[in-house]
Amino acid sequence: MKHLIAFVGLLAASLLPPLPAAESAVPDSATLKKAALEIDQQVAAFYRNRKLSVPQVTADATFLRRAFLVSIGRIPTAEEALAFLEISDPAKRENLVNYLLKSPGFSSHLSNWAFDLLRVTDDSVGSSATNEPYRHWVRTAVAGNMPWDVFTQRLIASSGDGWDPETAAVGYYTRDRGMPLDNLSNTMRVFLGTRMECAQCHDDPFGTTERHDFFELAAFTHGQEPVRRELMQPLWSELSDEKRGNRNSEEYRIARILWDRIYGMSLGGGGSGRIGLPSDYQYRDGKPGDVVAGRTPFGKTVRMSEKRDENDGREQLAKWILTRTEGQFPAVIANRMWKRVMGKGLYEPVDEYLPADKTPHPVLAGLLTRLMVDLKYDLRAFQHVLLLTRTFQFATNPNPSTVEGGDDFHGRKIERLSTEQIWDSLISLAAGDPDKKPLRPLDDRIYLEGRPVLVGKKTMPELSKEVLALKSEPQVREYFTKLVSDIRSGSQTSGNGEMMMKGGARSYGAGAMARASELPSPAPRDHFLYLFGASDRQVVDASSRDPNVGQVLSLMNGFVQSQLVNRPDAHLYKCLEGAGTPQEKVRRLYVSILTRPPTDEEMTWMLDELKTRGDAGCRNIVSSLVMSSEFLFLQ
Amino acid sequence: MSSDPLLQADELTRRHFMSNAARALLGVHLWPMLGSSVAGAAPAASVKGKAKHVIYLFMNGGMSHIDTFDPKPKKKDVMGKTEAIATKADGVMLGHYLKKTAEVMDKVCVINSMNSTQGAHEQGSYIMHTSYGLRGTIKHPSLGSWVLRLGGRIHPELPGFVGIDSAPDLTGGGFFGAKYAAAPIGSPEEGLKDSKRVEPVSAEDFDRRLSLADKLNRQFHDRYPNADVKAYEELYREAVALMNSKDLKAFDLRQESAATRTLYGTGRFAQGCMLARRLVEHGVRFVEVQLGGWDTHYDNFTGVEGRCFEFDQAYAALLTDLEKCGKLNDTLVVVATEFGRTPEIKAEHKGGRDHHPSAFSCVLAGGGVKGGMKHGLTDGSGAKVKDGLVSVQDFNATIAYALGLPHDKVIMSPSRRPFTISDKGNPLTSLFG
Repeated sequence: MKHLIAFVGLLAASLLPPLPAAESAVPDSATLKKAALEIDQQVAAFYRNRKLSVPQVTADATFLRRAFLVSIGRIPTAEEALAFLEISDPAKRENLVNYLLKSPGFSSHLSNWAFDLLRVTDDSVGSSATNEPYRHWVRTAVAGNMPWDVFTQRLIASSGDGWDPETAAVGYYTRDRGMPLDNLSNTMRVFLGTRMECAQCHDDPFGTTERHDFFELAAFTHGQEPVRRELMQPLWSELSDEKRGNRNSEEYRIARILWDRIYGMSLGGGGSGRIGLPSDYQYRDGKPGDVVAGRTPFGKTVRMSEKRDENDGREQLAKWILTRTEGQFPAVIANRMWKRVMGKGLYEPVDEYLPADKTPHPVLAGLLTRLMVDLKYDLRAFQHVLLLTRTFQFATNPNPSTVEGGDDFHGRKIERLSTEQIWDSLISLAAGDPDKKPLRPLDDRIYLEGRPVLVGKKTMPELSKEVLALKSEPQVREYFTKLVSDIRSGSQTSGNGEMMMKGGARSYGAGAMARASELPSPAPRDHFLYLFGASDRQVVDASSRDPNVGQVLSLMNGFVQSQLVNRPDAHLYKCLEGAGTPQEKVRRLYVSILTRPPTDEEMTWMLDELKTRGDAGCRNIVSSLVMSSEFLFLQ
Repeated sequence: MSSDPLLQADELTRRHFMSNAARALLGVHLWPMLGSSVAGAAPAASVKGKAKHVIYLFMNGGMSHIDTFDPKPKKKDVMGKTEAIATKADGVMLGHYLKKTAEVMDKVCVINSMNSTQGAHEQGSYIMHTSYGLRGTIKHPSLGSWVLRLGGRIHPELPGFVGIDSAPDLTGGGFFGAKYAAAPIGSPEEGLKDSKRVEPVSAEDFDRRLSLADKLNRQFHDRYPNADVKAYEELYREAVALMNSKDLKAFDLRQESAATRTLYGTGRFAQGCMLARRLVEHGVRFVEVQLGGWDTHYDNFTGVEGRCFEFDQAYAALLTDLEKCGKLNDTLVVVATEFGRTPEIKAEHKGGRDHHPSAFSCVLAGGGVKGGMKHGLTDGSGAKVKDGLVSVQDFNATIAYALGLPHDKVIMSPSRRPFTISDKGNPLTSLFG
């Protein structure tokens, strides 16, 4: 927790909009319950108007599993399940939700969502730059429950050093270096639910957005050069000149650390506010090369100067998105959260914004938007309210929705778990509560061709701070010469064990039994997570829940078998200790894996299995339960 | 039941799946019969193509047409660092990164006049794979799924559609469902992962597990008759048949000779191409292999050189190898991408090129396609299509045509809307000999 507290402290000290003081801002439980009730009243009104009967509330076991998977992304352990199922306290559902929202698993699960939405990957394609400080920034912000408006503002208005924890949000832009227009389209889609990618190249034939509008918007974020990299340009040109043939030299490789991983990960300026129309500009309202000034396409118009670079375009854009888009910003995130908790958005797709009165549920849509604002964009509190509703507890309905593209509240849709939910559940069974493991640390060592150097002497954030502070070309050359000599003299003493120990731990490898949120991103192509549909995080929200034969082979013969079923020391088998009777064994396995006791019929099958096959029968039961659709689907 | 033979075949398949569930789970072979009923369902429509298989090589990210298949030797400003080289086919030139491909161009037909309406990756690769625009309300089946649905499987146990390094959202079955989705290969060297029973599990225990899981699943499905739930049930049966297949060796690259391995080279894409040839030889209908990293906004020339290094030897080897084993005649080899890249070179992005859907190149070979030819023409700088425009839908209709499949055959989605493999595209029949 220490680093979280430190992190909140950093935020408060910055010049950005003040964060609500962490503790006092948490809404009390009466407020949350009242909001939940208002939502339920709206849903009830919907049933009354349509003369439909209100769905039943689901049984305890289903609620338990659903609440765990939706809020913390894994199934409950046997202890957690029994603690809930075996007490009869009328407030136990509410208490369970409170328990889950305090779990570190909550932010792990929400991080997967944020990584998919923002396309957060560890590495940059085609550069030795890394996105790790940015990934770490997002992960830490989610863990600290940074309000969504502050989070958005800090991403869009970011500027400066890519390694400084204060400003590592610049990764939002440097991640897309060389494709600023795609980055902008994604900004509009992610935060405002407005699709503008068509207008990057031509007037949108189906919408109102013209290509000119798009470039006026792009003017705000134009100019995303690294901080003062031109000071290093002469040195870099000398070292990387192909004719001199010294690209294999150590100097070149060290220079590359500065060029790619320091300068290349920094973001200079603040967004010029002006941009030239592209060479293929095809409409009468401008010619290629014409300079257009920033102007926002809807809401309360914000303009930038045509005459000079104002250099605060990113700040201005953030301000417009947050406060001048007539409620679109809170409405979009409210619907995204509704989909996350309820399974379906009030309207879908969630990234094509509809004003409340155009949605199937106008009053409720308005209510949710207000709630998001009232809760000061506290995503944890907002989800808390939704989890407390009766609507969340509705029984599962297997039939498809009767309202096209939206939720009709006729009960929970049955849906396959996300790949992260399946993975996090399986590793809980195999290795115990994954939230007891530490979060993935930021590896801040300086790497020269894959080998850490100056370990214990200097970190990347320190190096970055020093390099970006250099003010002239001679200073850069002088610093570089010193750095080369430091690294060379440092390598002579490498092998000194004490120094190596000071380095940060390298992050979890792909084979680690850790939460999906802590593993390499994107998941390697031969990883379980990828097989079950993890996003490659190149485009927004690209995860898939589609079945394929490889998944089934994996369940029968792959990871599940080697790490869980056939491993006697798997955590799951601990639940059998002290189980006196075969009945008790079967019951414990069921509760551990499916969060419910077996039916009488199932008990007969499973007892027969144990009787016929002994210990192997026990493994067969585990295997069949994990392979079952009930395990893979959220009810 | 529908009177349509295709839909009927589907019904039959489903009934077999249901009624023979228990036997199937115990590993009993009922598949040959089933497989033939699906394959036999392909109608003898008025189409001529003779190809049986497709190897679809997808260049993900947007392959620069100017630096590869549509060079402009006279325009230095457009070409940048790329030079045009002559090839084995008269009048067909390539970027100089494709020296080995140049040697096999007598087998290849280049389409230089591709045109797409979509300039963003997600939408662009979606329309290439499905012929339809990306929508929030429906998932269209991908090309491999269509081919499988219209043409049926060839081998009764091996998957009809295999995706190597491909993205699951581009190789899904869409509204056809999971049984038309690609079986994914994450690593060509490893082949089809987890396709063998793991050692400590005896055959008896394996069957008992499946039988228990099947009982549980049928219970669950009775409670929730949901298409996705059912899809998993069916996939278990499919997976078991696959595990029992004698032809599982189709996935095993270790059986390739040293000479063949040398021919393809060592890259991951090369392994994918080699595996694709093995799969086709063993009766897989459609194999997609993906090569990513073509999104060269930044430092295009270094990027293209790197991608071509992966592509060139592997592609030339694939055509040579297919010809040698007699499969080039009935295997259509497609090179596709979501769009091209701008003739304009962005100095501020270290010589980058941006997305360019209005003109780009795709390439066909084998499967009855005439070699050594070009179709269509772009203007002097490769910016616009000047002659013989080919839409994405036309391109996909041409693939269907090559296979002798009806490109205009309508199949209704579950929401009762009509779809075809190529939307309203028209095949380029002139490409065929």
